[in-house]
Amino acid sequence: MSTTRVDGVTRRYAGALFELAFARGALDAVQADVERLGRELSSPAIGAYLFDTRVPHAERRSKLEPVLAGMHQLMQNFVGLLFDKRREAVLLNLSAAFHERRLLLDRAAEGVVESAVPLGEAELSKLAAALSRVMDKTLHLENRVTPDLIAGVRVVADNRMIDFSARGRLDGLRRTMLSSPLPSAASSA
Amino acid sequence: MDLRASEVTSILEKEIENYQGESDMRSVGTVLSVGDGVSRVWGLEDCMMNELLEFPGGVRGVALNLEEDNVGCVLLGNASKVKEGDTVRTTGRIISVPTGPSLLGRVVNALGDPVDGRGPLSVTEADYLPIEQPAPSVVERQPVDTPLQTGIKAIDAMIPIGRGQRELIIGDRQTGKTALLTDTIISQKNTGGGDPDNPEQVICIYVAMGQKQSTVVDVVQKLEAQGAMPYTIVVSASAMDEASMQYLAAYAGATMGERFRDEGRDVVIMYDDLYKQALAYRQVMLLLRRPPGREAFPGDVFNLHSRLLERAARLADNAPEINPRFKKGGGSLTALPVVETQEGDVSAYIPTNVISITDGQIFLESNLFNAGVRPAVNAGISVSRVGGAAQIPAMKKIAGGLRLDLATYRELQAFAQFGSDLDKATQKVLTRGEKLVEILKQGQYVPMKVEDQIMVIYAGTSGGLDDLATSKVPAFEKAFLAHMQDNYPDVGTTIREEKKVSDEVKKLLDEALAAVKPQFA
Repeated sequence: MSTTRVDGVTRRYAGALFELAFARGALDAVQADVERLGRELSSPAIGAYLFDTRVPHAERRSKLEPVLAGMHQLMQNFVGLLFDKRREAVLLNLSAAFHERRLLLDRAAEGVVESAVPLGEAELSKLAAALSRVMDKTLHLENRVTPDLIAGVRVVADNRMIDFSARGRLDGLRRTMLSSPLPSAASSA
Repeated sequence: MDLRASEVTSILEKEIENYQGESDMRSVGTVLSVGDGVSRVWGLEDCMMNELLEFPGGVRGVALNLEEDNVGCVLLGNASKVKEGDTVRTTGRIISVPTGPSLLGRVVNALGDPVDGRGPLSVTEADYLPIEQPAPSVVERQPVDTPLQTGIKAIDAMIPIGRGQRELIIGDRQTGKTALLTDTIISQKNTGGGDPDNPEQVICIYVAMGQKQSTVVDVVQKLEAQGAMPYTIVVSASAMDEASMQYLAAYAGATMGERFRDEGRDVVIMYDDLYKQALAYRQVMLLLRRPPGREAFPGDVFNLHSRLLERAARLADNAPEINPRFKKGGGSLTALPVVETQEGDVSAYIPTNVISITDGQIFLESNLFNAGVRPAVNAGISVSRVGGAAQIPAMKKIAGGLRLDLATYRELQAFAQFGSDLDKATQKVLTRGEKLVEILKQGQYVPMKVEDQIMVIYAGTSGGLDDLATSKVPAFEKAFLAHMQDNYPDVGTTIREEKKVSDEVKKLLDEALAAVKPQFA
């Protein structure tokens, strides 16, 4: 599950690219290019250089040209526009923002299932199918082992937490007991 | 607090009985930053404005800024327990406080949690009400026409307060603002004998915001000593509490008062003080990066106070028919907000705001206080815009000319300092004024019944004290009231019940004056 926090500017630029690619029927090609660019930028050779403000603007732009060669025309135009508008920082989280839009289009969401013991593939897909119905979205889940849960599972997906764990139940019980008036206090008041 | 194992077991039994196998689905977010009592949270997509949030470690927060990609919230507890990356959960509940009779006699914080060490409150889930509630509409109200007796002569005679009114108490530090409030609370004992179950008893709520802990303790001790706590709730958000608690306390107190108002009871709520509350609000809003306006207060600082004070109202008798939220009509919530001024500057930002919202103000002046005029009410600039209608006819008749007499006295007093040769008429006004000022002086914790006030003020305004030495007026007042009590016990009752001073009563008062005066010649 992606945990990258996408800022508003990146979301708007990515949204525009996404809509255009969708309208031209080139969504898969552009997405592949966006992901490839993301991988390239994560390499220190390009990434560190590209966002180093001490390097002249034109030089940074030319550094990216070989990477862009062969990419979809929309992608090339998009990167050109970013450099013209001095918004190259948008490239940092472009991949995550684009992915977010894609999930939205596919009515899908990614999530994490925390469990006290590792879950099998079959269990995971069964859980995903059940929760997909509840959340009205196709869920892609990954498993994380958290022994602290004692038993059961806790799912965090699409900014929601669904707690089926023993730890969650105990916490709930603790909260209820702390906020419940004791019978003796109630009768004496 | 005693904790019995059997009681814990009974709660557990209830839990097991009501156990539902369903999961707990909440909107969650992640803490991005935390500091200075505020936190920014990423996620929380379904979060509501003013929703209570749960942080790890039992810390609670309130969502105040719903922005494009994060939620700004204030923390209502120990911020050191919260760290970056923590998971925050929504509760689906707007910030609420417990209300109802079980709060009477208790000292609680801004969240309604008891802080007096006397154990938990016996309240149910239904007793929790949101701290922000809409004020009654125009049709749900009725005009203010019943007096709220403060027991203070200077106020009840010249600046009367009606039930459902909002009267500002304004003055510099150390001018007796809190003392005036305490006296008003003590005086309410006369309405229902101090029995909170008596429907006639006025319920009092004292909200201390940004006050010293010692001041709050002092007030509570005084109220306890005077037997005023059984019908009083103290909401304390002292100077050591988080700024968020200090600004929310006023709304919490208002909600507690509204519960009684909506059940047909009369309530008086005191906000001590709104200037400190505005400072706390400014602190929170600046930390949440809301744009600062004049004196760095946020743009909605006016609304902060206006929406709070609008909740003071006298409900129409048929209010429950219009809105089922009201269980009984005719109840009232009187607000006595306090604003502390700096160097007597009433034209500062917050004082002018609150003056414009309220139905009048009682101005306490340090010069008067230092000159021994206590309560240090400046009758010249103090005013009550609706209270006149709420004064009983007897008081209106007797004290009608009091303000004018005092104003003339003050004017001539300044004039008389320049010359010693004064004509008889001027000397008469000065003599009368001196006596009236003396009569209006009153000690602390000795609120006076309205009939006693009327008798004493009659002695002054009728000119009966003109030939008495000013220094002897306090002793005379005591003796006169004692004489009335001993020899004419019916006079007080007649004034109280008939609410007017007949010629016959006047005659008896004159007789008593003539009888007591020779003792002080």
